Order: sequence, then C-alpha cells, then structure tokens
Amino acid sequence: MRSFIKKDLLIFLRDWKELLTVLLLPIILVIVLNFAFAGLFDSGDEVSMDLQLAVVNQDNETEAMEQLKERLVRDAAFEEQEANAILEAAGEIQPVQLLSDYLESDDVKEWVTVHHLEEKAAAEKVKEGELDGMLVIPQGYTADSLYASFAGEPPTTSLIYKIEEETTDSSALQQFIQGFIEQLNYQFAMQEITSGTEIEADLPEGGMEDIGAAHDFTMTQYFTIALGGLFALFVVATVAMKTGVEIRDQVFNRILLANSHPMRFLIGKMASTICLVVLQIIFVLLVSHFLMAVFPDRSIAFWGGVFVMIVLLALVLSGLAAIYTALLLRMNSVDAANGIFMFFTLLFGTLGGGFVPIYMLPEWLQQIGEWTPNGLFLSILTEWVQFEKLSSIFQPSMFMIGYFLLFTFIGLALFPKRGRAQ
Amino acid sequence: MLETINLSKSFKGKKVVQDLNLYLADGESVGLLGPNGAGKSTTISMISTLIKPTSGRITMNGVNAIAKPGEIRSVSGVVPQELALYQELSAYENLKFFGSIYKLRGKELEKAIQQALEFVGLDDRKKDLVKTYSGGMKRRLNIAAALLHRPKILILDEPTVGIDPQSRNHILEAVRALNQTDGTTILYTSHYMEEVEQLCDRLYIMDHGKVIAAGTKDELLSILSTENKIKVELNKLDEAFVEQVKTIEGVHKTEVTELQLKIIAAKGSNLISKLVHLTEQHQIQLLHFQTETPSLEDVFLHLTGRTLRD
Repeated sequence: MRSFIKKDLLIFLRDWKELLTVLLLPIILVIVLNFAFAGLFDSGDEVSMDLQLAVVNQDNETEAMEQLKERLVRDAAFEEQEANAILEAAGEIQPVQLLSDYLESDDVKEWVTVHHLEEKAAAEKVKEGELDGMLVIPQGYTADSLYASFAGEPPTTSLIYKIEEETTDSSALQQFIQGFIEQLNYQFAMQEITSGTEIEADLPEGGMEDIGAAHDFTMTQYFTIALGGLFALFVVATVAMKTGVEIRDQVFNRILLANSHPMRFLIGKMASTICLVVLQIIFVLLVSHFLMAVFPDRSIAFWGGVFVMIVLLALVLSGLAAIYTALLLRMNSVDAANGIFMFFTLLFGTLGGGFVPIYMLPEWLQQIGEWTPNGLFLSILTEWVQFEKLSSIFQPSMFMIGYFLLFTFIGLALFPKRGRAQ
Repeated sequence: MLETINLSKSFKGKKVVQDLNLYLADGESVGLLGPNGAGKSTTISMISTLIKPTSGRITMNGVNAIAKPGEIRSVSGVVPQELALYQELSAYENLKFFGSIYKLRGKELEKAIQQALEFVGLDDRKKDLVKTYSGGMKRRLNIAAALLHRPKILILDEPTVGIDPQSRNHILEAVRALNQTDGTTILYTSHYMEEVEQLCDRLYIMDHGKVIAAGTKDELLSILSTENKIKVELNKLDEAFVEQVKTIEGVHKTEVTELQLKIIAAKGSNLISKLVHLTEQHQIQLLHFQTETPSLEDVFLHLTGRTLRD
C-alpha cells in the first residue's frame, strides 16, 4: 500500500503546473480578494463609523396610558380593575424612553450621534446628506406597542426608518435599529409566555446581540478557508485524472498483471488524496496566515481544531476521489470522465462559496451549498473560528464522517472488478 | 506449458481472433508474426489474462488460466506494446514500484532492480526521470519492468516499435540471452520478419485474426521450396511489360519497386530466357539479375498476397 501512496505523491509533487495551481493560486487569490473586499465587510471598519441619526418623536407618552386603558377595555375585554393593574405595570416601561436610553448609551454613542429634530427639518438634513437617516416614532407608538405586548397581538404601529440613499453607513444604522426593535418585541413576547406581571425589557448591548466571547470572522479568513477548500477539490480531480493517464499508458494493466489486488490501487488513491489535501490546505492556511495574519493570537487548541477539520475534509474528498477513480475505470472515454470531474469541481466550488462569497448567493442556493463538502468545511470552520466550541461543530463534523463513509461506499461499489479478465 | 485451444475474440460482433491454436513448450522461443491489425496484440492480451476470450481455452500446465488468471500472471512477465511506465518517475522509482507490487521487498527488491537495470543497460541513468529518456531507453526500461520477478515466460508485444537500430539490437540480444542463458520461455510478436527469424525457434504467422501457417523456419520456408525468387533491375519499367511477365507460365507473384521487379515463379519454368525475350520486345535494358532463396517475407507474401508492412 505504501508504494501506491508514494507513487501517487511523487507523481503529483513532480507536476509543477498542478502544484503551482493548487498551492500558490489560492494564496494569490486570497491576497487579491482580501484587497478587493477590504473596507466593505471587515468588522474593523465599525470603529471608524460616525453615523448621524435624526430622531423624530411624534408620540405623546402622557396620553399613551389613557389610550392603552381604553383599548384594553374596549378591544381586549379586560375588566376595569385588570386594566388598571396592567397600566400600573406598564407605567414602568416606556418604549420611547428605552429607545432613547439605548441610543444615548455609551456603547452606541461611540458610533451614532443622535439629533432630536422635527420631521420636516430632519427630512431636509437627510436629503442634503448631513444626516445618514431619520427615525420616526409615530403617534400612538407607545400605546400600541404596549397593547400588542399585553394582548399578545402584533403591533399595528412601528418605528419608521428613512434614508435618502442606501449606503454602507445607512444600512448599518438600519440594521442596528431593526435589531433593537426585534429585541424589544422579543422581550415582550418572552414576558407574555412566562406570564410575568413585571415587564422588564432587556436591551441589546452596544447595538449587537450579546453572543459571548466570540471572535470576528473576517473576509480574509473567509477567503482563506473557502479557497483552500475549493482548490482541494481540484486536487481530487487531478488525482483522478492521473488514473486516466495510468489507464492510457497501460500501467494499470501492468499493476493487474502483477496479481496485485485492484482494490489496493483504489485505496492507494484515497490515501494519497488524504495526504495531498491535508498538505495543500495546511500550506494555504499557514502561508496566508504568515502573510496576512489571518488568524491572529489563536491558541494551540484552535489550530488543533483546524487540523482536525482539515483531516475530516480530506477524508470526505478521499471518498470523492474513490468515486471519480471508479467512474474513470468504468468509462470508455478518459476525456469525458475528466469533463465530468471538472463539472462537479466547479459545481461544488460555486455552491460551496469558493468562487463568490456564499452570502451573495440566493438563500436556497446557500442552503444547498452548505451540503457540499467544501461548503460544509467552510461552515464548520466559520463556527470554529468564531466560537471555538466543540458543541457547535460536533454535528457538522458527524455529517463529514457520514459523507466519507457514503462516498467510500459508492466508490467501492462502482469500482469494477478488473482483477478478472474482461 | 502454455496452450491455447480454438481461442477467439470478437469486439462488437467483429471477429478479431479466430480459432487460434498455439503451444509454448518450456524454454522455447516462439514468434507470432503478422502485419498490423492481424490480431497479435489481442492474442497477447488474452494469453496474459488481461482480456477474456469470447470462446476457446487457455491452459497453463493443464490448468484453466481463464478461470484462474493467477496461474499465468504469477509466472509471466508482459512487455506491452505501449510504454507502461510512469513518465514522472525515475527508472529506479518505476522499478521499485513495480517490484513492490510483485511483493518483492528489501534487499531482494534492490537486487532485482539492479539486475534489471544492468540487463537493459540503464544502470547509469537510473535516477533520471523516464520522460527525459529516448524512445529506445524507454523500451528497454519497459522490458526491465517485466523482468523484476524473474518470470518463466516473457511475453513481448512488438517491443522494438519506433526505436533506433542500436536500442533494437540491444533488446534483441537481451531477449536472446534470456532465452538461451536463463531458459526463459519467450513469446515474441512482431511485424519485423528479421527479428523473429533471428530470435525464434518456431513461428506462428497470423493474418486477419487467423493463424495461416505455423512451424519452424525451415518448415515454413519449405512452403516455397518449389519456387524461385528472382529480382531484376531495369532501366525503365512499364505496366504492359509487368502484365506480360505475369502471363509467363510458372510465375506466381510479382512485386514492383521503382525500377526493380521481384518475381516468384515455379522452379524449372525457364523464366530467365523468357524474361530476356520480353525485355527485348519492350526495348527495356536489363541492368541486374539475381536469384534469391525465398525468405519468410516471401512465405507471407505467398500466403496472403501482401507484404507484412502493407
């Protein structure tokens, strides 16, 4: 078996063209794409943001309690006493004040400056580009949102966010306001479910959901992982294509004539694929890391986890190599077989986010993409880079092992019994 | 030792080999001669157990080798017509890989590699990649790869195609040495008559998938024992003259090459005087005249009506 693996490794490593393609090209692409996408997505840009937001308050909070009581009695058929009790509890919550406190909080103040203006003045300033957007608190907002939370109905009034044109800054502002509204509604809903009499809104911190000590996932990391996975697919296709050369040159026949079990040939292909994929991805990750500090200040445990993921991907791809090899031995045309391999490489590459960032694809394609070997690899490492929690990668890792077993089974089933004369 | 009985192979309904009966005794050197497309390579593939015959039997020491291909594989070395080598590996790495799949290990493997390299004269280039070799060197390495496990039978399928005379001589000498010194049984296919004449004790002549003649060289030549081969060189040659030569009593075959005319005719047919008479009639000058002993090439021409390289 060792001789089969050594032979395949030597042949691959002496193919300079192929070697440059799978080792250097992904690194060059990571560097190029990193520069191309820099400033658009990296979280580092948040620090330099200074968003200007106009807040237009059209609500009258003093009338809100009266309006709420009227609706509770009239629309929700509460008794007068019940309505009064609810009003007492509701008095503790003032959604507009909560919003205001949130916008004035230290975390948010770092990157958002709030201007309290009349609607007309705010609209003009937004139009002239002085402000990034305006947030209108419509009349009856307090009463409606409180009524909705007590009656368990969807609110009919919502905050209105207006922008003049879509920019990165205005979109970011919109996203964080939307996050606030969702968080507020969520807290009300939770309160309703748990039947608590006291309603306490738990506001998001710093405009973002608190997800613990998560690391940023940068575009550079994305491209490094995605391109590493993509070019690993090319390694698999190349290993299989080399089988085509072995058939054409009749060395495969020579192996058969040596009375060597043909399954050794297939398992040799799988083992060499594992070695090549592991070496290739490690090379791409490490060189990219040393050139661009892709994974700064990460622990040994983190790198250990990355290595395990790479081995898992290599196992899956070795199964794919077994399928390709078996297909090639079954097909009459080596060129047609190579065409099929390239098709699947490009298909998996595209769906798995190797050619364009996966979030640029439609939602349904993203879902399919996560089931490709490289897409799954990207998904697992995305989790691992951010949270470094075994629990978050356990299930997808099991899927990877499942893929390996499935692909290997298909490869073995398709492999022709060439030990016998045809 | 090895025998085929009514061996046939069809591809898509077309019979490529038909009812082939062939026998190889221990230590014999047997040639399989025929033009391109005669079915030699298909026969070799069946005998070496790479492809299954459509019908017929192959036995190795009486054992059915179709059902048990290992019977032949374990004792045979096959030198295919194609260069079955890894171009990106060196000669040494190629032999090490092929030796290891023959389950040779350690010192035994190293010794076998060294012997094979020395035998084909490539020891000094063993570390060079095969893709840097000349055609002749690749052919020699192709043979070396089949010798590592010291096979009892060596099956060679046109091993000298497209190489220089020096490498060709080296290969022929090597095969002869294997047969005569080591006692290796040889099955050698070629469409070069002189190679099989030089190497083989017995011959099978194939054409259109059938054996059309078999025997020792003398036995095959005796087919033409009642004939003479005459070669004449003329200052000019016209069609009418050739047509009249064909009508001379006793002339069996004619072959024209530029200003040369080869004639195969029955012995005692008084051909020469008739030929001189005809040249005078056509005002052709007879420059050279030679009577030759028929060769195996002539036997093939006689049997098939065409030359081996047609």
